[in-house]
Amino acid sequence: MAAMRYARLLCALVVCGCVGTESPSANNTGGTLAISTGGDPDVLIPSLVQSVQGAQITDMIYDRLADIGDSLNIVNDKGFTPRLADHWTWSADSLSIAFHINQKAKWHDGLPVRSSDVRFTIASTKDSALGSPAAPLISSIDSVSTPDSATAVYWFHARSPQQFYDAVYQLPIIPEHVWKNIPPAGWRASDAAKNPVGSGQYRFVRWIPRAAVELVADTTNYRGAPKFSRLIWSIAPDFSTALTRFLSGETDFLEQLRPENLAEVAKHPELRTKQNHALQYQFTQFNLRDPANHARPHPIFGNRELRRALTMATDRATLVRSVFDTLALSALGPTVRAYPTTDPNLPQIPFDLPRARQILDSLGWRVTTSDSVRSRNGRPLEFTLSVPSSSKVRVQLAVLLQEQLRQAGVKVNVEQLDFPVLVEKMRKRAFDASIGQWNTQPSPGAVRGSWGTAGSRATSGNNYGSYENPVFDAYVDSALSSFEPATRKAYFTKAYETIIQDAPAIWLAEPIQTVGYHSRLQLATMRPDAWWAHIPEWWIPADKRIPRDNAPPSATPAPALPAGQKTP
Amino acid sequence: MPWQTQDFAATSGPTWPRESPLALGVRRILRKPSSRVAFFVLGVIVLVGLLAPLVAPYNPAAQPDIVGLKDLPPSLAHPFGTDPYSRDVLSRVIFGARVSLMIGVLATIVSLTVGVAYGAIAGYAGGVLDAVMMRVLDAFLSIPRLLLLIGVLVAWPRLSIGALVLFLGLTGWFGLSRIVRGQVLALKHAEFVTAAQALGASRRRILWRHLLPNLVSPIVVAATLGVAHVIVLEAGLSYLGIGVPQPLASWGNIIQDGADQVATLWWMSLFPGLFMVLTVMTLNILAEALSDAYERR
Amino acid sequence: MLRYIAQRLAQAAVIVAIVAAITFALIHLAPGDPFSAVMDNPNVSETVRQTLRAQYGLDRPLPEQFVRYVSSLAHGELGWSFSHERPVREVLGRALPNTLLLMGVALVGSFTLGILIALIQVARRGSVTDQVLSGLSLFFFSMPDFWLAILALLTFTYWLPIFPVGGAVDPVMHEYLGLGGRLVDRLRHLALPALTLTVLASAAVARYQRAALLDVLPADYIRTARLKGLTEREILRRHALRNALLPIISLVGLSFPALLTGAFFVEKIFAWPGMGYAVVNAIGTRDYPLVVGGVIIGSIMVTLGSLLSDLLYALADPRLRSH
Repeated sequence: MAAMRYARLLCALVVCGCVGTESPSANNTGGTLAISTGGDPDVLIPSLVQSVQGAQITDMIYDRLADIGDSLNIVNDKGFTPRLADHWTWSADSLSIAFHINQKAKWHDGLPVRSSDVRFTIASTKDSALGSPAAPLISSIDSVSTPDSATAVYWFHARSPQQFYDAVYQLPIIPEHVWKNIPPAGWRASDAAKNPVGSGQYRFVRWIPRAAVELVADTTNYRGAPKFSRLIWSIAPDFSTALTRFLSGETDFLEQLRPENLAEVAKHPELRTKQNHALQYQFTQFNLRDPANHARPHPIFGNRELRRALTMATDRATLVRSVFDTLALSALGPTVRAYPTTDPNLPQIPFDLPRARQILDSLGWRVTTSDSVRSRNGRPLEFTLSVPSSSKVRVQLAVLLQEQLRQAGVKVNVEQLDFPVLVEKMRKRAFDASIGQWNTQPSPGAVRGSWGTAGSRATSGNNYGSYENPVFDAYVDSALSSFEPATRKAYFTKAYETIIQDAPAIWLAEPIQTVGYHSRLQLATMRPDAWWAHIPEWWIPADKRIPRDNAPPSATPAPALPAGQKTP
Repeated sequence: MPWQTQDFAATSGPTWPRESPLALGVRRILRKPSSRVAFFVLGVIVLVGLLAPLVAPYNPAAQPDIVGLKDLPPSLAHPFGTDPYSRDVLSRVIFGARVSLMIGVLATIVSLTVGVAYGAIAGYAGGVLDAVMMRVLDAFLSIPRLLLLIGVLVAWPRLSIGALVLFLGLTGWFGLSRIVRGQVLALKHAEFVTAAQALGASRRRILWRHLLPNLVSPIVVAATLGVAHVIVLEAGLSYLGIGVPQPLASWGNIIQDGADQVATLWWMSLFPGLFMVLTVMTLNILAEALSDAYERR
Repeated sequence: MLRYIAQRLAQAAVIVAIVAAITFALIHLAPGDPFSAVMDNPNVSETVRQTLRAQYGLDRPLPEQFVRYVSSLAHGELGWSFSHERPVREVLGRALPNTLLLMGVALVGSFTLGILIALIQVARRGSVTDQVLSGLSLFFFSMPDFWLAILALLTFTYWLPIFPVGGAVDPVMHEYLGLGGRLVDRLRHLALPALTLTVLASAAVARYQRAALLDVLPADYIRTARLKGLTEREILRRHALRNALLPIISLVGLSFPALLTGAFFVEKIFAWPGMGYAVVNAIGTRDYPLVVGGVIIGSIMVTLGSLLSDLLYALADPRLRSH
């Protein structure tokens, strides 16, 4: 599960299906929501979080200034709902936005939320000593000023359609008084990181590594008390255990079912499943630069025709069906169908094995040896495909791909690496090819970093394969600076068409997230970027409660409070 | 089964006396019905491994139909079921036998070589050298072998299979060398050695011609147990994902392939494991019978 | 006797020192440095990396590093676990009691069960019962630890779901149970891993003990007892067992490495939050300091185990006592 890279992004296909609409009955608060998950959160500091689990938990503990609407609109502030900011005002030139902090908002330790906390959040994230992965995502923000304790003014470098989204979506606000005296390099290891203090509707109780994370309702929260009085992430060591706990009723919710589990879930009449068009796509990424010398093109993948031939030799539809059954669509390109700017009919390089063989022949890669591996000037057509060993899905894709390319005379060596090791290798551009996945954000602009020249040269850039095409970059930039939806879409379509034909990757799958839940749960809308966003509105009818729902609110006292502060 | 005799004879050098104690051991243990069965079963497993390409019903690497034939439970066509890549598990277990047994035997050869040399030198030299060598040995013995291997394999990720064999062998000789040293110490003062010394034989000649042959029985027993131990260790390491690299199939590897879906793909854990238990059991029976046979001599 | 104890203690200290040298060599023979792989965050700057390396002395000459290493070991410092964001000592310190509990239960259980089986076998040696029990103990003795654990998990949590599927406690409910409830919860979670480890270890004990009993049966005093007209059962209980128990003490020491290895896999498969589980997880995250810490603690446990059993043996054995 560590392999689930979480780079926050979003989309716009609205997944509807509010299972339970709110009942008028007053007694819908209380109860325990137990969530099965396959790994620990990495860290519980919003600006450092990279795992999905970490994002789920910090999103409950911390609040943003405003939250994105279910429509996932990212242009201007349409659809955004107030959180810590009860209102905001745009300056006339739109180069600054003044957020007014809700005066009832308090940190879980009792201190009020102030504008200085907002300034601190942005400033600390931009501090390179912290090494926040969110830093590049807020580069459009110049600074935050605080004319008074209730007002935080965001200053932007330039006017852009997504400036409001950049300001509020990327970072929940953290308390200055907790963090200011800790050197940034020591945040992860600090005691404060083990007892997070936020302002969200749930407060932190405990984190027992590899066992559980527990939160309780903040009953005096400025936004009102949430419905469930307790949230528990039951951390299993692996997917199999997480599934068993869900099936046995030990937990109520499992965020990702695999196709082979659906039959088993169907045997349990009390369990339900639901699909969520999460914003993720998987692909086989080629390194276009020589791993040994970045100044040179890759001896194999430097050639566009060859990359196209490899795509042609891959039966993507069958591959996706084998791994996901019906729970994924073929990927279109570096994007997801959920973006309103994505044209679902983007032209693709077709599966055509004979043509692929022909191209490879014409490029001089011919079968000469008895082992039927092609070679050119004595160099065999052979490469290493690296996958994270923690992701069975990607391991599976790699082994299947290995066999398909073998039929075209290409030798693939599958290399399973632990996730951190793989990331390090990609970061140093020291790989041949890998199976990657982007869990993307509501904004399609994330491609700038992951496939644009901007993300290619710097080692902190996410464009590991060093695909560089100024035409693609230009189309993406034009799309992002345009306020007009139709124009945005037209430019993105041009950009995607360009990159698909250049084939810097074999676009594989766009998985459809399938969650499993107990029928006693009344879910609210699941947001594609974050199914958990509306957990505070989930509830459980009084007649469906089981013993664990009636546990007292908290078995141990919440973190000690400063003298003079009182808690409910 | 001449192959086994040859294997061991080849490892022990040509200076052995004509009437090999091994032949004696084999003759003796075959009198016992339980060891006869064990011998037969082990022979079948080894043969199956050796003749894998002829015996296996399918190509162990082929993915005939990745949509229609994946994750199939055991059936007539696939007695051990298929894996998530539609590969035949029986064929993989058969080819896995090859890899697992080969690693077991080769690693044991490494252990024997190092262990005998170390023990013989320590025992024969005596004095300070012996004391130092024994303390170092104690230290190695007190590091659990699995942990030591994990320490090594994590430091050197993605080892070739040859290096894996080497490490398995290099962590397996500690116990044996202690036995060898004890035997050498006891024999050093035995009459026939004293006699040889009196006749002016060189130290090296005494070591090779007189001492080593007398070590054969403990070595054969230790080798048999050693192979069993390495098979189990290798499977454990492969199960942890740091043993035999994919796509090569070993018994531990096949179990690992199905490990994240044990409940759904139970056949991927059950069958390779059964083969492993059977092999290890027969090796244990034979080791026990061998040591009985030598004691009775 | 005192001299023997002092000698044995000194020996153990030397062994631990050599183990430290071996682990140090392990760290430094490894390709690359153990920190580059762990710091996976692309945004960690090179300066931070350098600071970390300096902190761990990785930029100093080797002999100095070794001195630093040994002195920090002597102070109980095992380094910093990257995956836990905590000192290794703290991670292992938290895990160790769970491992000791598991091993302790299995130790007591397997010796009781193993000796009992051996007694039954020897009392009826040659009978069908003896042979069946021999076969069974050989079967379990030959079973790879992890495979038996997988089978136990499959059988008793999936097919016959009578035990919970992993962990030391119910992560959702445990904190909310009363004292009695917590105890029951703990026992329910302990049962399956402890049982698995017990079965694995008792097979070895039974085999060893059976052989030990058969060894002493032909002894003179037993022949005398037989002449005195004692029944076979009385002989077994009064004489043979007592004498065959002495080797048991050394078997306890000998079984430590095997138990530890067994606990390792059992912990992994049942997600039992012990030392083995911590180390297995550290393999995946390339948390090298934690792996090495596990190797050191494991070795110390084994050394202590054999030291203890040797000392006990010396106390129990009249021949050694006179020394």
